[in-house]
Amino acid sequence: MIKVKIDGVQFDAEAGQTILEFCLKKEIKIPHLCWHPDLDPQAKCRICVVNVNGRMSTSCNTKLQDGMDIITENDEIIKARKLNVELLIANHDLKDEDNELSRLAKELGVQKSRFDKSHDKQVDDKSPAIMRDNNKCILCGRCVQKCQDIQNVNAIGLSGRGHFTEVSSYFKHNLDDIACVTCGQCTNICPSGAFIEKDYIKEVMDAIANPDKIVIVQTAPSIRGTLGECFGMPPGSLVTGKMVAALRKLGFDKVLDTDFTADLTIVEEGTELINRIKNKGVLPQITSCSPGWVKFMEHFFPEFMPNMSSCKSPQQMFGALLKTYYASIHNMDPSKIVSVSIMPCTAKKFEMSRPEMNDSGFADVDYSLTTRELGRMINDAGIDFKSLPDGLFDPVMGNSSGAAAIFGATGGVMEAALRTAADILEEKELDNIEYNAVRGIKGIKEATVKIAGMDVNVAVAHGLRNARALLEIVKKEPSKYHFIEIMACPGGCVGGGGQPVPTTKEKAKLRAEALYKQDRDLKLRKSHKNPEIAKLYEDFLGSHGSEKAHHLLHTKYTKRNEFGN
Amino acid sequence: MQITQNTNFESFKKAASMPPEEVIQIIKDSNLKGRGGANFSTGIKWECTRNCDNSDKILICNADEGEPGTFKDKMIMTKNPDILIEGIAIAAYAIDAKRCFIYLRGEYAHLRKNLEDSIAKHAKELEKINLNIDIIMGAGAYICGDETAIMNSIQELRGEPRTKPPYPVEKGLCDCPTSINNVETLANVPLILEGGWKDMRLFSLSGNLENPGVYELPLGVTAGDLISLGKPKTDIKALFFGCAGGCIPYAPETKLDPETINKMGAMLGSCTVIAVGKEQSIVKICRNIAEFFVHESCGKCTPCREGNYHVLQILDKILEKTATADDFTALEDLASFINKTSLCGLGQASNIHIKTALKYFREEFR
Repeated sequence: MIKVKIDGVQFDAEAGQTILEFCLKKEIKIPHLCWHPDLDPQAKCRICVVNVNGRMSTSCNTKLQDGMDIITENDEIIKARKLNVELLIANHDLKDEDNELSRLAKELGVQKSRFDKSHDKQVDDKSPAIMRDNNKCILCGRCVQKCQDIQNVNAIGLSGRGHFTEVSSYFKHNLDDIACVTCGQCTNICPSGAFIEKDYIKEVMDAIANPDKIVIVQTAPSIRGTLGECFGMPPGSLVTGKMVAALRKLGFDKVLDTDFTADLTIVEEGTELINRIKNKGVLPQITSCSPGWVKFMEHFFPEFMPNMSSCKSPQQMFGALLKTYYASIHNMDPSKIVSVSIMPCTAKKFEMSRPEMNDSGFADVDYSLTTRELGRMINDAGIDFKSLPDGLFDPVMGNSSGAAAIFGATGGVMEAALRTAADILEEKELDNIEYNAVRGIKGIKEATVKIAGMDVNVAVAHGLRNARALLEIVKKEPSKYHFIEIMACPGGCVGGGGQPVPTTKEKAKLRAEALYKQDRDLKLRKSHKNPEIAKLYEDFLGSHGSEKAHHLLHTKYTKRNEFGN
Repeated sequence: MQITQNTNFESFKKAASMPPEEVIQIIKDSNLKGRGGANFSTGIKWECTRNCDNSDKILICNADEGEPGTFKDKMIMTKNPDILIEGIAIAAYAIDAKRCFIYLRGEYAHLRKNLEDSIAKHAKELEKINLNIDIIMGAGAYICGDETAIMNSIQELRGEPRTKPPYPVEKGLCDCPTSINNVETLANVPLILEGGWKDMRLFSLSGNLENPGVYELPLGVTAGDLISLGKPKTDIKALFFGCAGGCIPYAPETKLDPETINKMGAMLGSCTVIAVGKEQSIVKICRNIAEFFVHESCGKCTPCREGNYHVLQILDKILEKTATADDFTALEDLASFINKTSLCGLGQASNIHIKTALKYFREEFR
């Protein structure tokens, strides 16, 4: 224990923590910008300056020392912070913005900058998923840290020097022409709107306004645990009913649930795994529902293509069924259906644009929006989200199990698959269905599960640095595992690239807890027990893994190089 | 000049016959201060490095003499490379380093051979302490003369300063304890061990003078004595201490020592003195310096990266006579805050020229 004085008040503190960390815990306000709880402090923005023993220092990287005398605010500090904010907003038009930078400026009472605009850079909007506007970049470096240190993708880095430094890519190519996996971790951490998702709100609103179109929306498992944050609700608020009601208010003709095809994915992927094990197919089988992970694999580990489950992701299964099965039930002309998905993910935008994703005879998904885009749509429409009465999903492709609910958290797909595989292989209904070993935020999780007398070895990785490490293990010991779940984003979809900004590990944990609670509260907790799924096979697909199922629900992969496509 | 004497590795032999701690004590007692501009005690730096637990200690000789108007290290490496190599050998012995990197300014490529020849000539002595000396060429970035950026550069990382702590003496190059010493500092070491050493400084003198060059004088010499050695072409009105040291009005009786110059708001640094004639424009000089800092800022922290850019924009407006009162207050804000919130020595010194010019030559900005 050490003693420190902060604004004249004595505190006992543990050594080793920074001034900012300590003050945040004690609710002593220090404005800050480039600091992020998941990343090493860079001390680049120089907003969090405080006076330490008479000298100005950044609080984010100055560790508490015994006897320190800290002043968190005085005229000089306020002036210094304001000046740095002014320098950072010179290229911003604050009245049109709502991000960490604009909120900070407002908080410090900086309306506009005295300094002239100094950038006129080309906006990179070539990627189907991510836009990069270097005019808005304040070089906090969070995105680079995420891309390099957390994801280990290294798609972006810094080039140039001084005022002409910029976040740049391989030979300054556009993001669609480099080994960017479109995970969007840069977009859920960027404080100034320089990295944002490619926005399709206008296209969707135009479709809704078009009387000839039937606009049908599917909602991913995790977003009901995160959407509330767009309206100031605490992380982990489960807002399923309000989300459905809001979508209906926005004018979507049908509001359906991706959780339905999450269940379907489990049935198909579980069948695939059982077949691989029984018929000595390629093992380990690796999950394919995270499109950022899929693209990462195609760029950096194409030798694992035979290991990948051939199942499409729930979004794409949903899209393929919407314009076939669902359309035929409701006598809809599939050419008039506009298929929209709300996803925690930017890579879903890329996934839907893959050339093979049109097995329904049309684009299986027409627009994929992130949680953030839906939040903006609801806000822009003037809907008072928090006071909405709960709505219910439309029938058919709106019903789902608790196994689907937990898809949004790391380990969730694995657990859902184990629940189904165990029941099928044991040929009975098992009661013990919570697989705690695959839950939680440890980077790589391993477990051995006894099913029908067999030891099934599984592993789960989330975040691409962990994925890379796990694949290196598999390369050395190819027969170590039977089944592997990999999610591109840290924490799984709850930490997805399309989730509210800024996403942190802590928030991802709270969001996951909401999904596990949703699972616990449901009676139906196993995918293969979903009656709508049984009906789908009976009425339309035939058996599990049938030819029709293969045509509509399975896909293939493309080898890509390490530099671009 | 004292610094051009050759001690023929006799001082090294003398040092190598003593325990390293004794060598460090001699350097501490001599009160030798770092000549790169920070004026930190060389003996204490060595002692901290030596006392670190990690056994892989590293010595870096900072020969990235990038401060505009500074050319004293160049003179040493041209006229007396042997004394530098001997100083390196003694330092390495004292701190127990087996590896030394000489980080040589890119523009000094022609001096590389002098150093290589001297290393080859003394290979036997260097072998006795298992010392391996590598010469790393800088590529022209001023920031890489900063002691932490130099380490990034050698490690082939982006040339950006690191945050301190940890200090290089604890966790430096490749996380090893590292002592980073300037060329002039190391060149003085053999002279100290030889005995009879006088604490003299090399002044790099340039500007509006007939006889610019390197002058060896003690700290505290008066500005008048120094300038008269350089033979002014016209009346001198100001002295700039390189780009980073700011300026003071020229008065012959001003003593050139760190304390006096600090009190005046400027920094003597590595004893770079640029004499400015009365007909020259202070604003134009400041504009040149601002342009230099815009070019040389690494881009890591806000005040240096953006602040200096806008200093340059405003100075241009002042020179074009289009500056408003708002521009002027913005300039004053930048002048008083860039140093306070910048991350490294470069940023912390990058506005001193404006600050001191506004203090002493304000009327020229109107």
